[in-house]
Formats: sequence, C-alpha cells, structure tokens
Amino acid sequence: MKRFDYARPADLGSAIATLAAAGDGTRLVAGGTTLFDLMKLDVETPGRLVDINGLAELRGIDTGGDELRLGALVRMADAAEDTRLKADFPLLSEALWKAASQQLRNMASLGGNLLQRTRCAYFRHGEPFACNKRNPGSGCAAIDGANRSHAFFGGSDACVAAYPGDFAIALIAMDAVIDVEGAKGRRSLAIADLHRQPGARPHQDANLSPDEIIVQIRIPANSVGRASTYHKVRDRESYAFAVVSTAAAVRIEDGVVADVRIALGGVATVPWRARSAEQALIGRRLDAETAAEAGRIAFEGAAPLNHNSFKIELGANVVRDALIIAAGRA
Amino acid sequence: MSRNFYPELVRVDACDKVRGITRFGTDNRPENLAHGAFAVATIGKGRVLSVDTLSAEALPGVLSVITHRDTTSLKPAQFLMAGGYAFQTHSPILTAEVAYRGQPVALVLAETLEIAIEAAALLRIDYEEVAFAATMDSPLAEPVAQAQAPMRYPLEDVSVGDALSAYEGGAVKVDSTYGMERQFQNPMELIGTVASWDGDRLTIHEGTQNAGGCKFGVADQLGISPENVTVISPFIGGGFGQKNSMQSQLVLAAFASRQLGRPVKIVVPRRQLFHDTTSRPATRQRVRLAADREGRLVGALYDVDAQTSKLDFFPAEHADTAARFYGYPAFKSFTRLIRTDIPTPGYMRAPFEHAAAFAIESAMDELSYQLKMDPVELRLRNDTAVDVVSGLPHSSRHVAECLRRGAETFGWSRRNPKPRSMVAANGDLIGMGVAIGLYSGSGGPTRARIIARRDGTVTVNVGIHEMGQGAVTAIINVVAKRLGVQPSAVTAMVGDTSGVPQPLTAGSWGSTSAMPAVEAVCDALMQALAEAGVETSGNVPLGEMVARTGRDEIQTDASSVAPGQDPQVLGRTDTGRVAPAGPVYPGFVTYSYAVHFVEVHVEASTGRIRVPRVVSMFDCGRVLSPRTARSQAIGGVVWGIGGTLREGAETDARYGGVMNGDIAEYLIPVNADIGSIEVGFIDEPDFQVNRSGVKGLGEVVMAGVAPAITNAVYHATETRVRDLPVRLEMLLRSQE
Repeated sequence: MKRFDYARPADLGSAIATLAAAGDGTRLVAGGTTLFDLMKLDVETPGRLVDINGLAELRGIDTGGDELRLGALVRMADAAEDTRLKADFPLLSEALWKAASQQLRNMASLGGNLLQRTRCAYFRHGEPFACNKRNPGSGCAAIDGANRSHAFFGGSDACVAAYPGDFAIALIAMDAVIDVEGAKGRRSLAIADLHRQPGARPHQDANLSPDEIIVQIRIPANSVGRASTYHKVRDRESYAFAVVSTAAAVRIEDGVVADVRIALGGVATVPWRARSAEQALIGRRLDAETAAEAGRIAFEGAAPLNHNSFKIELGANVVRDALIIAAGRA
Repeated sequence: MSRNFYPELVRVDACDKVRGITRFGTDNRPENLAHGAFAVATIGKGRVLSVDTLSAEALPGVLSVITHRDTTSLKPAQFLMAGGYAFQTHSPILTAEVAYRGQPVALVLAETLEIAIEAAALLRIDYEEVAFAATMDSPLAEPVAQAQAPMRYPLEDVSVGDALSAYEGGAVKVDSTYGMERQFQNPMELIGTVASWDGDRLTIHEGTQNAGGCKFGVADQLGISPENVTVISPFIGGGFGQKNSMQSQLVLAAFASRQLGRPVKIVVPRRQLFHDTTSRPATRQRVRLAADREGRLVGALYDVDAQTSKLDFFPAEHADTAARFYGYPAFKSFTRLIRTDIPTPGYMRAPFEHAAAFAIESAMDELSYQLKMDPVELRLRNDTAVDVVSGLPHSSRHVAECLRRGAETFGWSRRNPKPRSMVAANGDLIGMGVAIGLYSGSGGPTRARIIARRDGTVTVNVGIHEMGQGAVTAIINVVAKRLGVQPSAVTAMVGDTSGVPQPLTAGSWGSTSAMPAVEAVCDALMQALAEAGVETSGNVPLGEMVARTGRDEIQTDASSVAPGQDPQVLGRTDTGRVAPAGPVYPGFVTYSYAVHFVEVHVEASTGRIRVPRVVSMFDCGRVLSPRTARSQAIGGVVWGIGGTLREGAETDARYGGVMNGDIAEYLIPVNADIGSIEVGFIDEPDFQVNRSGVKGLGEVVMAGVAPAITNAVYHATETRVRDLPVRLEMLLRSQE
C-alpha cells in the first residue's frame, strides 16, 4: 500500500468539485470494503482518496412510494433489513443479505457494492500475472488459466473476469435506474447501462466519468417483485461469491406468466439479464418443465472456458429452481 | 454420554481469551519497536540477480533493507527431519536462490508496519528465472521411491505376506485411486516473531509449538550460545503443525534486531503463509482391496504418491497408518515422493491420516456395496486385536465399541442400505456414511518442576505448549486431583524456555508426554514432603504440609520417558530435539481411534452438500479434561468437514504459487456449514502406554471424517467422489 492524500468533502457539490479537479489516480471511498482490500494488494494505488461518507444527501432511504429510492451511501445491511424490500422485493433483500458477511455488509455502501471489482485472481494478485484489467495491454492469464470462476457471457479476447456482485443482479431484473451527478450535472441511466463489458478496454468497469458520483438507486414499484427470489449457489453456505446465482421474479395472471424477470450472476462480465428465457415463458404456465426450459435457454450462447462449462448445466438448474421458488411466493 | 474419571473443568484461559486479555507472541510491543515486511519473489524459481533499494530506502521511516548480500554471517537452517530445527532446509534471504513463487527475497525494516510494507513494494528486483514444477503433474516434477530416498530417517514400504497374490486371488475386489489437493493449516494467529537483545542475550516472543527447537535453531543460525536465547510462547493462536518447527522469519528478525540495536517485529501476512511455509502435501492414493465372500479382507495393495519439495524429502507415512486399519492377512505399500518446486510440505493436523483414511475407508465402502454388506458390519468383521505389521498386540483398541456405540447414537439402523433411497421432505437426497480414523500413539522425554507454597498455591512447569487445545487446563485438572487442591490454586508455566526444556508439542504426543511427567512431579513433591517428616496421608491441606516443613515453599523436579525409552533420551529434549517414541513399543503397539457417522443432504439440482449431523466416538484412553477434549473433538470434526468439502489449493502450473492464497478464496467452513456434532469418548485408560492412561486426541479427531462424508454422499447420490475437495460439479447429473 502506498501513501495517499485524503479529502472528506461535506457535501455533494464539493465532492464533485474535488473529483473534477483531481484527475487521474483519485478514488472515491465509502465503505472501503473493496477499495482498501485492493489497495493492500497494490492493485489499486490511488494518490488521492475522496471520502464521501460525510455526504448526507446520499444517505436517504425511501421505500414507501411508487418508486423506491436507496441512497448510494445506505449500508448493505440496512437496506437488506428494509421492510418494504423484504415484503415486496424479496430478491433485493436476499441479494443483499446473501452477500459477504454481516461485518462487511455493515460497512459496505450500496453504491460501492455496485462498483465492486472482479475477484479474478490474476487481477487481484498483481505481477507477474497478465491482466488487461489491471495492466492494459498485458494480456489475460485467465483465459487459459484457472477460470472456474470466470465469465462465459460478455467476455472478450481481452478479459473474461466475472462481475462478482449480487445486488446489481437483482437490480437489473427490476429495471432499476441509477442517478449519478458530476461536473456536468445530474443524469440517470438504466442499471443495465452502468457496467461495461470488457471488449478491448477491460480496465474500464463502468460507464461513469471520473467526476461522477452515484447518488441513488431508484426502483420502479411493480407487481412482479413480490413473487421473487435471489437464489445463490456457492461453494459454501455463506460468505462466498456466487458460483451461479439467479434473480428471478414472476407475475402469474390467469394461470400463465404475465411478467417474468431472470438475471444471472457469477457467469458474466456484467449483471446479465436472460431476456430470451423470459420471453419463452410469457403466456405459458410456469411449471417444472417450462422453468427447466427457461433455464436451458438462459444459458444458450455461453462461451465456456476450460473450467466453467459445468455452470451451463448447473446454471440451468439454478434458474429453474429460482423460478419455482419465486412462483411459490405468488 | 460417558462417565469421566476427571471432573469437568472450565478452560482456565477462557475468560481472558474472550476478553482479549491473553497476550500472544506478537502482541508484545517492546519500546522502540521496528517493523519488518518482506518483498516476495514473483518468479516460480531461479535466483535474485539484483535488488534496487534506492527508492525504498529514500522513503522516510525506512531503517534498513536486508537482502542476501547482508546475511552472509548467518548459517542456513536445516530441515527438522534431517537433523535440524526448521521446517525446511532452504533459508530465504540467506542466499540468492529462489526456490518457489512467493518466497521472501528481501526484508525491509521501518518505523511502522505501513512504511515497511510500502517500501517492500518499492524494491526493484531482477531475477534469473528457470523452469519449475508447480504440481505433481508438472513435466519437471521428479518422482522418487521413498524407500530409496536419501532420508535421515528412512521409511520403508510396508510388506506383510504376499499381498499381490492374495489380492489377485480374492473373490471380491476394489481398485480405486483417490486424490487430494494441497491444504493449508491457517491458524488464526499468523506466524511472527518479536526479537529483542539485551547485550548478547536474545529474547524471542513467538507463537510456536516448539520453543526449544526455536531456541537451539536460531542460536545455531546466529552462531551464538543457546544459553543466551530465551523463547517465550505461553499461548499459541492455533498451530496445527504449521508452527511445529523454526520458520524463515525468526532468524531474520533476530538478525535485524541485532543490526538495528532495537527490537524487531515481523508478522508474516496470511497471503505469504500460503507461499512460504508448510502445507499438507497433495496426494494420489491407489487402493486395491480384496475380500472373501464373507467380507473378510484377504489382501491389500496401497500405492501413494505424495508431493514434496525439491529442497527436502518430507516423509509420507500414509502406509504406516493404512496398514493399521484392519487385520489384513497381507498388505503391501509402495510410496513415491514427488519432488516439486514448493516450500517443503509439513505436518498439518492428521498429516497423513486424513488422506490415508480417505483412501482406505472409501475403498472399504466401495467393497461393502460389492459385498452387499452393511459398512459397519464389514468393519467389525475386519477388526483386529493384533497389529499385522509388527505382529504385536494393540495396547488397547476399542474400534468395535466405537462402531457399536456410534451406530446406536446415530440411529444407523434407520439407514436404508440402497443408494438414492432416502429423500428428505424438500427433495434433498439423504445419505449416511461411516468411517474409521486412527492415529499412532507416541510419547517422549519430558521434564517437569513443581513448587508448592505455604499459602496453598502450586506452580507447575512442564515441557508442553498451549495451542488452544487445552493443555494447561488438562495439566491443572491432573495436578488438582492428584494433590487434592482446588484448580484455582494451580498455575502452569509452559512454552517458556527459561523454565524446564520445551520440546516440540505435536503428533498427539503432548498429553501422553507431559501428563506422566506432571504426575511424576506431583508424586516427587509428596515424596519430598514425606522425607521432610510431614505426614502426607491424612486430610492435611497441601499448604499446611508445606508450612509444617518450616519452609515457605518446596520445589521438586521429575521427568518421564515413553515405554522402553532410555532416560538418556532426555538429553535430546534438553537440546531442542524431537525425541518421542511410538507407536511400536516393546511388547505392544498403540493407536488412538475415531469412528464417525455422518448424515448428508444433497440438493440434487445443484450438488450442494449439507452436513446436518455427525456423531463421532473416540478411543483416546483416559480423558483428562472432559470439556476441552470435547471442544477439541468438535473442532476436529469441523475441520474434517472443511478438509473434505471446502479446502484445497488452486495452482496455475504456468506460474506456481497458490492462486487462492487468502481465506476469502481458500474456503474454510463458516458457521452455516456446520450442523449438529455429537462426540463421545470411551474413556478407558490405557496404562500400558503411560502411567496417566492417556492416548493422543488432537489429531485422530479429524481422521476419517472425509470418507464418512463421501461415503454418505455416495449413499445419497450413487456418485463416488474420489477427489477432494468435493466441488459442486462433481455431483451434477447430466440427466436432470
């Protein structure tokens, strides 16, 4: 870890001004659960940290209205316990409490969690591993390496690092919107547009400019979230990243699927919406057979690596199980 | 569940530990402390050509950078199993050689830990890299037949009868190969040293299972008299074998402290511990079992490939354990050591027995299905009172009772023998499995001293280390009972070389060595009181007896050795050497035993395995401290679950090292992984092995958990898992 300057602005405006003036090598810090970890590994080596924990305007949580608003600084643990989320959007609450450990959830902010960086070992463990995300142009050691936990959706020749988070998977299923504010003002983008597939520029995880700060997450109230789940399969019962996860939500009308959402974690470079699987279910009964078919469709087009092809079968089962769990809550 | 001879005593250090009062080795912060951090090799093997220290040394607060050019006065360490005191022969930073990825190549000393870490990252190191073998399958890995390896303590293959013919003539056969990845001890307390000098006297605070070995080892490396070294290790935050010998940082901390003229602390971070100390080596074990139609074993062939380093021949003693499971009429082993470019492997809790039990007891389970015989019954039929290797009787062997009692407690009779026949309400497949584990009994020369005072207090000083296993609680329990005093009146001093010698505590010989010495020194005290003319047979309190001698305190010394050992072997203890004997003693052989019954629930769609229930029975001789014994047993079963379903190194052979080298990615169990664990003890003393009647417990507790789980998984799923750790993908069934 190297030395860094540290600023703690008191409001959003001065935070943006600080960021805009700072240029490269500046990082926002909220809970610090990803950043400090990567700084200790010398993967993140910011010269300057802008601590946004003093920004009261990012702390709001309002889940009472037609649109749920979660401030970017709301801690994961607090959002996980929100009664509206638990009642009407169990997939969101579950995605939060199935992540990390209680201690980490007490620290980690929602905004920071969305931007959690990959767990790819070649990325995290520094030299001499080739990693285009950490060291652009150096190559990708994972493509022919230990890639059981890597992505078979959304990868490129330059990078197959999986997006590690859970909450964003559930959010993408709910068509959440992210409000960001920067030197040029405020803008909103669909959560689906927040994360970048690596393409030729894996070092850029998100479609945010350096002066922009995530202000809040908005989730449109809907009637599909109630019958939902975040089904997370991992290598141990708790405190582990997803081997495969599925956020599933379903609304049944007159015995057939009127609305359904399926999103996948652990298998893609970005939060991954399985729209063709959703389409296949619309207008049909949801039973073990159609759910299994949706599961198979969800994994069509996967480009498996040496060690992760089992997730096609596993993932299809997880999607099926998630749909059945979700439908059981209708 | 079992009637205990000794009373239930609350762990004597429990309150301090939960309040954070206990001071572990590197919690010591002497005045003016300097901090060390290592720079580690980023190549798989080779040598350091140059270290550019300019920018590191320019950092304010940096005191010194030590490279191999600065350490020429230091003598390289020697491997414990080659007559030395260290976990391997190779000494990082004492030469330019890089033996494996992640090896320390330079040490930075600074005013703060943060500065030291930052400076270590600023070192620019040039290497010459050479080709290497990171795994047993690497083309440059070098297999050597162990019996032919030039080892200081040679290990021969086990050969009883004509095993090949017996196997070939058997009516029912199993021929299976079982693999296991490298595993790491990961005690909560990291390895580390606080070194300080007072003139020419060196004091070391370090969590170690071998204060004596560290004392003599570091003195040898520094070229000073061991008389001038004190190693203090009263508490260890878990050892599990990783701390059983001198580690690389010790001599460097002492050296740096002498150079700087101030105390130095080095704590090896978790990630570096995956790269620069011991591990349980990877293994590949082929088991061939043959039985007659009634399920009696007629012959067994056992071939082991075990990973070692290219630095040392770490012995692979799997066959010695495997040959003791049953009364095989014929048994033949063949062990190869596979030399690779990793740090020398070492002793990790049940070092060979965890793997050997996985292989033998999995094969027995496979045999039971071929025979259509209940796995408990098959084991009972092959139990033995005689050790087939030596022909000698077992001192005690309560395997059958463990099996029967365990089966009853577990409810084994409710098991439907047909695989995939038991299904839970939620659709999970239920499986029930059983397996035996065993661990060799041993004991060694140990000295003890006791001081009884007029005020009724007693201090006992004995050669053993408190690793969290409850050694001190057991000692106090024994002393209190023997002297008729309250446990609160007794204190124990252990792990401190300023008292009696502190030999290595490992191999489940801690209690078997120390407790006889403790009993002997208690008896010596009473003898001394009697000789002073005090009546010792009545109900006179101990303090009153001391008072009647007219003195303030009485001190006596005593010692003990294992059965058949010449008392002169105490000289080895006095010089920090490893000296226990066993399991083969004059006239008998001794082992501790475990039997585990495991229930698993397997989620068919994902392969997720849950272990809601374990019942384990142990034959460890006399239970000296019921509460800490139970804790140790439960902890061992937890580890067995982790060592089967979670733990395994991931290595990228192109690079070497360990890809999952932290405890976020190297999975150990969390609370949610652990269900009900019920443990019981036979608690029958074995007075042949020592006067205390105690056999070892610390290692045997996890031996056999692995096959009990995978046998249960087979019963649940009809999928035989032969490679550990078990991963989801191994249980996926494509037809679903």
